[in-house]
Amino acid sequence: MSMTDRFFKTREFRKLFRNKSAVIAMLVIAAYLFTALFVMCGGITRETCDTVVGQNKMPGFFIQQTPEQRYENATSKFLPMVQRALSRADQTAALADVRLGQERVVNKSAAQLQAIIDRAIELKNELNQSEDLDADSARLPQLKALEDQVAMLKAPLTGWSRLMQNASLVLGTDAQGRSIFLRGLYSIKIAIQIGLVTAAFCVLLGALLGAAAGYFGGWVDHGIVWVYTTFSSIPNLVLLVVLSYAFTDSEVKDTLLPVYIAFGATFWIGTCRVIRGETLKLKRMEYIQAAQTAGFSPFYILVRHVIPNTAHLMLINFSLLLIGAIKSEVILSFLGFGVKGQPSWGIMIRDAGNNGDVVSGFFWEIGTATALMFALVLAFNILSDALQDAFDPKHV
Amino acid sequence: MHMPEDRPILKVRNLRTRFKTDRGIVTAVDGVSFDLYPGETLGIVGESGCGKSVTNKSIIRLLPERVTQYDPDSNISYHGQNLLELSERQMRSIRGNDIGMIFQEPMTALNPVFTVGWQIEEALKYHSKLSSSRRRDKAIEMLRLVEMPNPVKRMDEYPHQLSGGMRQRVVIAMALCCSPEILIADEPTTALDVTIQSQILRLMDDLKKKTGTAIILITHDLGVVAQACDRVIVMYAGQVVETGGVRDIFHRPRHPYTRALLDSMPKPGAAGHQKRLPAIEGMVPSLFDLPVGCRFADRCQRRQPACEAALPELVDPETKSVTRLATGRTTPSVRCFYPLELRQTKERQV
Repeated sequence: MSMTDRFFKTREFRKLFRNKSAVIAMLVIAAYLFTALFVMCGGITRETCDTVVGQNKMPGFFIQQTPEQRYENATSKFLPMVQRALSRADQTAALADVRLGQERVVNKSAAQLQAIIDRAIELKNELNQSEDLDADSARLPQLKALEDQVAMLKAPLTGWSRLMQNASLVLGTDAQGRSIFLRGLYSIKIAIQIGLVTAAFCVLLGALLGAAAGYFGGWVDHGIVWVYTTFSSIPNLVLLVVLSYAFTDSEVKDTLLPVYIAFGATFWIGTCRVIRGETLKLKRMEYIQAAQTAGFSPFYILVRHVIPNTAHLMLINFSLLLIGAIKSEVILSFLGFGVKGQPSWGIMIRDAGNNGDVVSGFFWEIGTATALMFALVLAFNILSDALQDAFDPKHV
Repeated sequence: MHMPEDRPILKVRNLRTRFKTDRGIVTAVDGVSFDLYPGETLGIVGESGCGKSVTNKSIIRLLPERVTQYDPDSNISYHGQNLLELSERQMRSIRGNDIGMIFQEPMTALNPVFTVGWQIEEALKYHSKLSSSRRRDKAIEMLRLVEMPNPVKRMDEYPHQLSGGMRQRVVIAMALCCSPEILIADEPTTALDVTIQSQILRLMDDLKKKTGTAIILITHDLGVVAQACDRVIVMYAGQVVETGGVRDIFHRPRHPYTRALLDSMPKPGAAGHQKRLPAIEGMVPSLFDLPVGCRFADRCQRRQPACEAALPELVDPETKSVTRLATGRTTPSVRCFYPLELRQTKERQV
């Protein structure tokens, strides 16, 4: 406790907290982190992002859709599907449930809607075929429960559900009728997740390899320098595309693993270079020699004496890599090689472009994605600048 | 005064340390021999680049292995083992445990990111099996031993919160916490101002008497030698040029280089203190291009033709018999064909 307390009361931290733009940047980053955490805890799921909320396309917080409007919005997209469902069953028996399904469309994903329709058709069929009165009466509560759901869906939205409905419409919808706002927020989690994992992994790997290269010298140094020179001579994006293709048919293609591997393989190089240089300097310091005269093993000196003294570089590199990874993720996803199967800013920008929406004045999808990314990257840039100012000993 | 025993604890024989460089092999230390007795302070004096630091880094084997060669004749005998032949692992258990070292620059000799207490405890953690509370007690005891004011509070402070003198005390405490038999001090007071310098030297002397640790004190400051050492080795261009008791060296220097060094030192209270101090003309010869004869001949005012023809041996200045080894406790040796006669070196005041 007292140690962290002292850590935050050092001159460097006081200097950092005196910098107003740095404080604002930290608040912005905190908001992003909070959103990412909210999404990660299940606040916004992949399915929520795929749910059709209407095709009004216009942003606006105060648009209160009536059930009829919601129905209208939903039917234009889902009528063919509903008709397919009807064709499979006794039409008169299924009619009520199909109406139920149409109502439901506004808040449910396509898969959930299909499940309810199927269940209702199944129930009606069972009732029609059954000759046992007792069995029929046993099914009645289920029918009642289904009808209650219908009633609930028909009631005007209130409280949390109304808030969510309005929130999902606040920035309008995309060409498929999905909420831009929710997709934008979900993308924050993707971006932060990729940024944090990549930056943490690459900083640790780069620091360890760089410190080892600088400290041990000789063939260790030659080997590590050879590896990173080779890696840095391969064009970054090409390597990422190759790796992305390599995972096309594997079962991890819808996860973020290919992106992690692609970024992890290349992003550690800059950190490694910087830490190696710093270690070459630190190696000549007397406290490192003093540690050698105290009889400590080389690995112990590396981990306990050299690496802690490069912490300031690790901190700055961490924030730089975080921005780099987020930007690269967006570019890759835009090109179709990055995130798959879930929303991402890159995918949103691509969708907006593909449908010709931007040309016809429909700018909020691309605008939302760009603004969210811009704010995050700007905040991190300001923060890493402020960190550099505060922790650079040559800067008084 | 602590009465030293008569068996040397460390015997250095014919130490030749060579470095492989891009310009060829260079012999940085050329045939240095000496003994170190328990409880004594041995001063090694010389200009920058004369090999005094390399000698001591050879003893503790801290020179980069890839570029360093030791002559096969070289022997550093410590408790019957030749330190030059030990494996790196065996050497690690000797470093810190048996031979400690303190450095010149107290500003950089402590790791800035850890507390003072952590750094003193670290060596104990590594070399002993003490429990953590016992380690802390021991570290506080060490700080008390080096006369650190308010040791309990200082334990949790970082190096930048301490003054130079206090940091050097911490460095000494770190070096001594595993009770080494030999302490190598590489210019321990150079970076300190004179009052702190004399406090630190007095402290090292007290500690030596309390613990019986033998000290090798490397310095280019003759004032420090006069205050702290029992015996002195004067080095020049990788070789020992003169050795003897501290009184002999100061009052009866026999080698022209020693004499010139003493002359270039300010003398307190001397009438001529407004005059310029005499400096030694010329430069130390490059180790890549050493003369055949006496290495000091070029700068020596008493140079004779013989000096440039052959390298003089270390001899007893009285009997002129070759001593070769600067090992005797009292016998002075000098590497000169024409050592200064006693009557030429009038009694000096230091």
